[in-house]
Amino acid sequence: MGEHQKKTTSRSRKVVGIGVVSTLGLTALLAGCGGGSNGTATNGSGGSGSNNGVVQLTLWHAMGGATGQALDQIINDFNASQNKIKVTPVYEGQYDDEFNKWKATQGKGGGPNIMQVYDIGTKFMIDSGEIVPMQNFIDQSHYDTSQLEPNILGYYSVNGKLYSMPFNSSMPVLYYNKEDFQKAGITTPPKTYDEVLADAKKLTIKDSSGKVTQYGIGIATYGWFFEQMIATQGADYVNNNNGRTGTATQAIFNGPAGLTTLNWWKSLYDAGVDLNLGSTTSLTQNAFLAGKVAMFIDSSGIYANMVNGAKGKFDVGVSELPRPAGATGGTIIGGGSFWIPKDQSTADQQAAWQFIQFASSPAEQAKWAEATGYFPITKAAYNEPSYQAYLKKYPEFQNAIDELHGVKLTYATQGGLIGVFSQARQTVQDMIQSVLLNKQTPQQALDSAASQVTQDIKNYNLTVQ
Amino acid sequence: MGATEITARTGPIPNNRRRTIFEFLQSMPFILPALILFAVFFFYPIVKVVYLSLFLTNSQGVAKHFVGLAQYVELFQSPDFVQSLLVTLEFVLMTVIPGIILALVLALLLERSIRGIGIFQTIIFSPISMSVAAVSTIGLMAFNPSVSLLNFILQRLFGLPNINWLNHTFSSLVAIALVTVWMNIGFSTIVLLGALHNVPTELYDSGRVDGTNYLQRLRYITIPSISPSLFFIAVVSMIGSFQTFGQVNILTQGGPAGATNVVVYSIYRNAFFNFQYGLASAQAVILFLIVLVLTLLQFLVLERRVSYS
Repeated sequence: MGEHQKKTTSRSRKVVGIGVVSTLGLTALLAGCGGGSNGTATNGSGGSGSNNGVVQLTLWHAMGGATGQALDQIINDFNASQNKIKVTPVYEGQYDDEFNKWKATQGKGGGPNIMQVYDIGTKFMIDSGEIVPMQNFIDQSHYDTSQLEPNILGYYSVNGKLYSMPFNSSMPVLYYNKEDFQKAGITTPPKTYDEVLADAKKLTIKDSSGKVTQYGIGIATYGWFFEQMIATQGADYVNNNNGRTGTATQAIFNGPAGLTTLNWWKSLYDAGVDLNLGSTTSLTQNAFLAGKVAMFIDSSGIYANMVNGAKGKFDVGVSELPRPAGATGGTIIGGGSFWIPKDQSTADQQAAWQFIQFASSPAEQAKWAEATGYFPITKAAYNEPSYQAYLKKYPEFQNAIDELHGVKLTYATQGGLIGVFSQARQTVQDMIQSVLLNKQTPQQALDSAASQVTQDIKNYNLTVQ
Repeated sequence: MGATEITARTGPIPNNRRRTIFEFLQSMPFILPALILFAVFFFYPIVKVVYLSLFLTNSQGVAKHFVGLAQYVELFQSPDFVQSLLVTLEFVLMTVIPGIILALVLALLLERSIRGIGIFQTIIFSPISMSVAAVSTIGLMAFNPSVSLLNFILQRLFGLPNINWLNHTFSSLVAIALVTVWMNIGFSTIVLLGALHNVPTELYDSGRVDGTNYLQRLRYITIPSISPSLFFIAVVSMIGSFQTFGQVNILTQGGPAGATNVVVYSIYRNAFFNFQYGLASAQAVILFLIVLVLTLLQFLVLERRVSYS
């Protein structure tokens, strides 16, 4: 037996070797697939320096895919437009990851010269004391902010001061598959919660075995959607007028507006017409492109990605975010803005301000909006011939713009201001799932989520005093 | 320096003690490198974690506001943390026990000298060389309800309906356990296979002479002989399961509704997402104590049945 055994082992060792090599190859291949669409030119570590009189700036951002390429384009334009400043973009992952990386590095060097932060990071950035308010630069150079969209300024202005410059601004909209709508005999997209439920039932298709082959709607359990849905009903997220007239101390999203929204969401799920793919929105986007869901809710900022993805398969429709019948509130502007960190020389700060002005110019904002689906932050962009041509080519998108312009600025539509918004959003996401999965009733889930967020706000407020 | 002082004071009597001190000083240069590394990378962090658990911290981890044991009290009153502990225990049971049984069965099969056994060995050992990220990414594809190959196979073979693996309370934990068991099976199998090869053949021979059947030989010869390895696997995979992080982070982010929020993931969330280092530290201390107690229990209970011959 011994002899035989030995032979087998030596042979098997060779095979193991081959196996290991092929597995490693497969792993590398997978890694390659994952990175492909998101990667942008990176220059590794942050920090700046002057080279031959050229100011080198690093910009951290969270724009993947088509939006990442569009941002690279703006930066290339800027670098080519003059020879004193060179901006290098660094993709740091999705908003949360990028923001967390900033939190971990702030004040320790190695951070960026320009930092893109998502809307809900605003309060944290101000409290951190690690940034120079944008208002300082605006005042120094008498920059005219009257050309900027008032509804966008509304979100980013705190106590009448602009702390960051809005860059990518979007609102949630209802995307739908026009072919599916035609097949189901639906002529106009649903506007109210009840209409969505009725249409979603018509759009849900089952095969002979009863298996659903197409869901009427897919709503990612993403906390942003919940924030938007209560704002359309005029409800605030936190107290002290959404934190706009004083530091918020309590979460108040567990009122009737929150309940209406959760009840509706659950009715869709219970009726078997809502595909729940969790909080990662890209999964629902892919399901839409694969024809598995006929409608879904997402940011207007992914419009270009959706149109490109559906090209040759179906036409993409856009309609405003559905709301309960009779609700008179509006949606909150979302997206991100540029911040200038304090931890750099004044010369670098001024250079960063130069870039930000360039990125906010009508011509660049028009290009940006065409390439992505974000709204131009300046009204002048609508006069750019290229953007006018774009809106003619994609008349659907006018619906999203009308939604933006239709919003009346209230505390609810200005959006909540709290330093722990990323956490709160996570708590809300768990709340939605626990309602859909029947772990808690909607009101119980709302109350426990609100008390959790209140606790987080209190703890946070203690640490920034 | 200190040593001479002591010897001077103690006088001539304790020759023994003088030698001990001398030996101690002699050994220090050899121990010191390891000791410094341990102090910097283990002891200091442990002390710091305990310290931080008594404070609220700001986003940079600076202790800002002393709260004493309040965070421990908060944790044990929080249904989320209790759920996260329960989920972790469930997960440990779902991975350790099936993992060991499966590894044992595979090792017994692989021990046979059959033509082409090397191919099977390679297939089973190959996940060892893959990173958690790669394994989880494969899992992400397998469990995606829109394009799932796994669902397709289950449907064709067993007529199961389309499972939305990662968005149901129980199936999401099962999905992560599946990925984990698959990832760890290679290592456990190799260890057990090695142990099987070391069982003296004379034992089997005498067993055969006594007229035992396969199951009897397995029960009375094989398992007692490889019990040190089984015990090793049990301890190591239990600790590994308690520390599971990557799979959860990539596949479910602790969702849906906290159904896969194992303790280590929840520590990560609190520390590096919510930036509540204090709360995260308190969780880490609790996890440390639990793992310590369970490991001691394993040594007390299981090790009695282990024979190191």
